Amino acid sequence: MDKHLTIPDKQPGFSLPTFVVIMIIIAGLAVFPFVITNRFYISLINEMLIYGLLAMSLDVLLGFTGLLSFMHNAYLGISAYAVGLFLIHVSPASLWLACLTGVFFTALVALPVGWVQVRTGGLAFALLTLAFGMMFHTIVWKWYGLTGGDDGLMGMPNPAISIFGWEIGHSGDPTAMYLLTLVVVTICYILTRRIIRSPFGAVLEAIRENEERAAFVGINVRMYKLLGWMLACTLAGVAGALFILYKGYIGPTTMSAFAGAGVLMMVLLGGMGTLWGPLVGAAIFIYIQDYISTMSEHWEIYLGIVVVFLVLFMPTGFVGLGGYLKRLKRG
Amino acid sequence: MGGSLSTAVDIILNSLVLGGVFLIVAIGLNIIYGLSRVMNLAHGSLYAVGAYAGYSIVAIGFNYFAAILLAPVYVAAVGLVLERTIIAPMRKRSMIYTLILTYGLMFFLDGMIKYIWGNEPRFIELPAMIQATVPILGTQYPVFRLVMLLITAAVMTGLMLFLNKTKIGIILRASSTIPEMVSCLGVNMKYVHMGAFVLGCVLAGIAGTIAGPLTTIDPLMGHEMLISSFVVIVIGGLGSLRGAVIAALLVGAVQTLAEFFITDLAMVIVYMLMALILAFMPRGLLGEGKFE
Repeated sequence: MDKHLTIPDKQPGFSLPTFVVIMIIIAGLAVFPFVITNRFYISLINEMLIYGLLAMSLDVLLGFTGLLSFMHNAYLGISAYAVGLFLIHVSPASLWLACLTGVFFTALVALPVGWVQVRTGGLAFALLTLAFGMMFHTIVWKWYGLTGGDDGLMGMPNPAISIFGWEIGHSGDPTAMYLLTLVVVTICYILTRRIIRSPFGAVLEAIRENEERAAFVGINVRMYKLLGWMLACTLAGVAGALFILYKGYIGPTTMSAFAGAGVLMMVLLGGMGTLWGPLVGAAIFIYIQDYISTMSEHWEIYLGIVVVFLVLFMPTGFVGLGGYLKRLKRG
Repeated sequence: MGGSLSTAVDIILNSLVLGGVFLIVAIGLNIIYGLSRVMNLAHGSLYAVGAYAGYSIVAIGFNYFAAILLAPVYVAAVGLVLERTIIAPMRKRSMIYTLILTYGLMFFLDGMIKYIWGNEPRFIELPAMIQATVPILGTQYPVFRLVMLLITAAVMTGLMLFLNKTKIGIILRASSTIPEMVSCLGVNMKYVHMGAFVLGCVLAGIAGTIAGPLTTIDPLMGHEMLISSFVVIVIGGLGSLRGAVIAALLVGAVQTLAEFFITDLAMVIVYMLMALILAFMPRGLLGEGKFE
């Protein structure tokens, strides 16, 4: 269906050079907070990692299953609200239980939504993600008693982060949060890459390339689409749990259509169908946003122009640009 | 509020008014999709541009009825420029790209609206003669809303006559069924796509101008309308004009009732309705939808 998508080679494991590069990047990121102790930069990279995870989860849908979700941030928001509400109202100290509840609740919400969405074709699927996303945004925005409406969720406790009794800090501490985020995002990346390169991933790509043929060879297209959707939403739920722990706050703007376009742009910037591209795209996007939003209040116009430009002239993103340069060199 | 009868009359008339606006916007979206296979996510923003254009035309001293004629021309001009420069080159690409493209366009237009007209809400000044109310079955109903109903009916009748009786209309309808055949008969499809987009923009502009005085005009009005018109065309079946008429009236009625009883979360009821209909009738109410 799409000649613009880059199809990666299909080894389930890492080749040696890739493995070395990934280890170097992770090691670099891990020592970062001990070298540069400026809290601002630690928070910035933390946000890049969390949005990177969200963009990567959208890539599972967009790049591998060929389904478009306009408001993937809604599922980050649902999980973040669930974790926050659990910590405030149920138990302020049990961090892991709160995160599990958040992710599980997100999956629970995503299941009926996905069930309705996969019953329609690709176009209606995309429109429905927008409609349901707006619905979740409206609920969070207007249900003042539960979510705090426009003011957002306030009064988050700072539970201690401990792994098997070993306490590394509490969630208000930027360095401890950063290390937790790095570990979780790395695990999620490796797991997702493994899943995508398994026979299950091949089925998703078959659906993306030609839905009818996939159905003819006996693949239950609806069920696999639903599984892809659930995988993406669960990953977004993990990102949401990290998000609220890192920020200590969530408001309805995080779930708005505008923020959803941002996530879509991260995937486009990085290059869809690559899994690691969106992580790079998120880093670039968060950096630019941080830079431009301090300069201009008309950030919307620039966002629109950049999206249009990307789709018209650079549909494969920065990752594709690398491949293009390589081909150019070879002649 | 008088008796239960007058409340019922209020609700019925209000749902017709709301459904009428949904119908005009959704039909425009449907025509563009049916003819050029582009789902225009910037349609809500074009509707907002229509409302703001109507506001500006009235603000510089023209009559409101002149604004109803002039604002759509302005929106059509904006649409023509967008279609020629940005949307036409994308037509051959996959659906996902056109969706993302028009999504970007939506933010661009919203940003431009905020840049030109600012963030604060605006109000269209109505002529004195339609500001009064008339008694209907025990309720005092605003004349303006009745005028809106008349205009909606006139627009829809005009559109049906245009699509069924004129040569251009027949070419447009034929192109939505078998574009290859129409192309073989010597019609330049470039102009068909252009015409469909401009027609959709004109309809969005009319809807914006007549809905403007109904609520306040603010930069976010386009988003709400975009979602409502999606709900309408999804319930009615994508590309089905008859389905859109029924769906628009249904959604208008459900939303008016929900707003009357539970105010803030009214839209949630509408989304639930859509989810239910889709779950059991994936091709829309009349089963005519063309989902890809």
